Amino acid sequence: MAQVMMKDLNKKYDEVHAVKDVNLHIRDKEFVVLVGPSGCGKSTTLRMVAGLEEITAGEITIGERVVNDLPPKDRDIAMVFQNYALYPHMTVYDNMAFGLKMRKFPKTEIAKRVGEAAEILGIQELLKRKPRQLSGGQRQRVAVGRAIVRHPQVFLFDEPLSNLDAKLRVQMRVELKRLHERLETTAIYVTHDQVEAMTLGDRVVVMKDGWIQQVGEPLELYSRPANRFVAGFIGSPSMNFVEMTVAEANGGLWADTSGLRVKVPPSSAGRLGPYKGQKVTLGIRPEDLRVASGADSADYSFDTVVEVVEPLGSEILLDLKAGPNVMVARVDPTVRVKHQDKMRLSLHPERVHFFDNKTELAI
Amino acid sequence: MGRRARDVRLAYLLLAPAVLLLLTALAYPIGWEVWTSLTDLSPLNDRPTAFVGLANYRHLAGDPAFWRAAANTVAYAVVTCAVKLALGLGLALLLARPVRGRALVFLAIFLPWAYPASVSVIGWYWTLSPPIPTAYSVFMGQMKNAVDGVLGGGAWAFLSVTLFNIWRGSSFIGVFLLAGINAIPPELFECAALESKSAWRRFWLVTVPLLKPFLALAVFLALTTAFADLANVWMLTAGRIVYPVLGTHAYWLAIHGGQFGPASALSLTLAPFLLAALFVLFRMFDPPERERA
Repeated sequence: MAQVMMKDLNKKYDEVHAVKDVNLHIRDKEFVVLVGPSGCGKSTTLRMVAGLEEITAGEITIGERVVNDLPPKDRDIAMVFQNYALYPHMTVYDNMAFGLKMRKFPKTEIAKRVGEAAEILGIQELLKRKPRQLSGGQRQRVAVGRAIVRHPQVFLFDEPLSNLDAKLRVQMRVELKRLHERLETTAIYVTHDQVEAMTLGDRVVVMKDGWIQQVGEPLELYSRPANRFVAGFIGSPSMNFVEMTVAEANGGLWADTSGLRVKVPPSSAGRLGPYKGQKVTLGIRPEDLRVASGADSADYSFDTVVEVVEPLGSEILLDLKAGPNVMVARVDPTVRVKHQDKMRLSLHPERVHFFDNKTELAI
Repeated sequence: MGRRARDVRLAYLLLAPAVLLLLTALAYPIGWEVWTSLTDLSPLNDRPTAFVGLANYRHLAGDPAFWRAAANTVAYAVVTCAVKLALGLGLALLLARPVRGRALVFLAIFLPWAYPASVSVIGWYWTLSPPIPTAYSVFMGQMKNAVDGVLGGGAWAFLSVTLFNIWRGSSFIGVFLLAGINAIPPELFECAALESKSAWRRFWLVTVPLLKPFLALAVFLALTTAFADLANVWMLTAGRIVYPVLGTHAYWLAIHGGQFGPASALSLTLAPFLLAALFVLFRMFDPPERERA
């Protein structure tokens, strides 16, 4: 059990500045997910915590100890790799016992711990097999088991579910969450999948180009993204963005562009005041658009033409055009609509986001 | 004709070229050699070739020259194999780390193998037995006398053959094992680094078992090249064989002595042992399915 602190953490390779001034305080027992597109520095950050990459500048503390100069073995962490990293020449039992054997634990203690972990993961039947004889999901369990038997202060997961097929990934995701609730050990989890990040993380750290973009609880990232990148990265389908001009009319602020004109909701009006006459980016999630009804205010409604209809069963995704502006709406599966239909949409005024065009920060 | 019968016929038809090649290029010469080893075949004989049974083998068993050559061959194979493996593995492990100028080092290590043996042999020959009298040649002359003095005449020549084999073979085995190391996912080594500080323990518990198939194949290649070595020994000692190995001994018997029978018997004596060793090694790098890791 331990907290992990990263202070002004930097990693530079010859040409590449992979991790830039990362400051992060991971609390004891917390499950923190680092998420971002490939090359964003999330894996490098994790590997610096593990001790597999040298720290160029900054400091990492695990528990009370600064671990910068500690070899990986002495950091009291256990890591689960994307490709499982099981030893092909060892049985499942030996793979799980490997770390304890290396640390010269007594045989009875090793047997006890491996037995416990195997029970938790439901792999008692597999202990005598070799990794080659296991399915992907079973290998993943063994890899997790190898980490649990160590009773480490921190679990490190490097894209552990990325090699599994979609169905298994969902299943293992739930199991990992249950496991964390049971073991109550600090965990740092790296993934490029925002769904994994949202579902697993107590808090999520979104990274891009080596910088931390935002740290927050999943719903906080979803409802109050700090910038345009986070807004587009979290949520699926992604948020719609339209570049618009802020203008004053009829005693209120309006966002205006060709084919689309909506009122700036009162909650945002104050902050958008200084942008009068300038361009900003409006962001609205597909689920915050709905088919307009008579009850909806004309201020927040606009006309569109349907370009593509994607019925998913539980919902319908519509690719639409409002003038030249392309957007996606997520509507009720009962809506009857077809290609080239005209459709009046209404947006949820309290869920509209505005971003500064230059800084891309939320306004 | 049933479909299955047709398939079987087609299968044999497709196999035919390979079978033919094996028969003419391998089975026939080996069969001929085995047969010859049981006769007194010789171009020097006026009378027709006679079947002599195991006489050639019996004769060999009582011939001290044979035992000397056999001992030399085994020593040559074992020593070169062990040293090449150790050096090659060392080079491979060093090269597996990302270092600046790795490509150049790689080239330097691979050069002894890539260079034509006939040319590099002359380089070694002149290095160990300088053709022009200089201070260096005097020094090497003294070295030769010292070595021969302690280990007996011809020891220097044998040592030079061994050195040449190691020099050339380590290069190949190093590159070969490097390819092996590169084929192993780096996470397997990283995972070990998370568990143990001791590079020595990680080497024995992780690197060696993971490399086992490659190591077995390397030993396989090292052994076969050493046992079958005639050309290098011949070239490096310019035919003045004072430390015969089985290859050179058989060559002398057959080509210079005209004794095809005994020479064939001689070259077949190590075959059973070599085959056994190769079988064991083969099982290591290509185990039967049920034993697979």
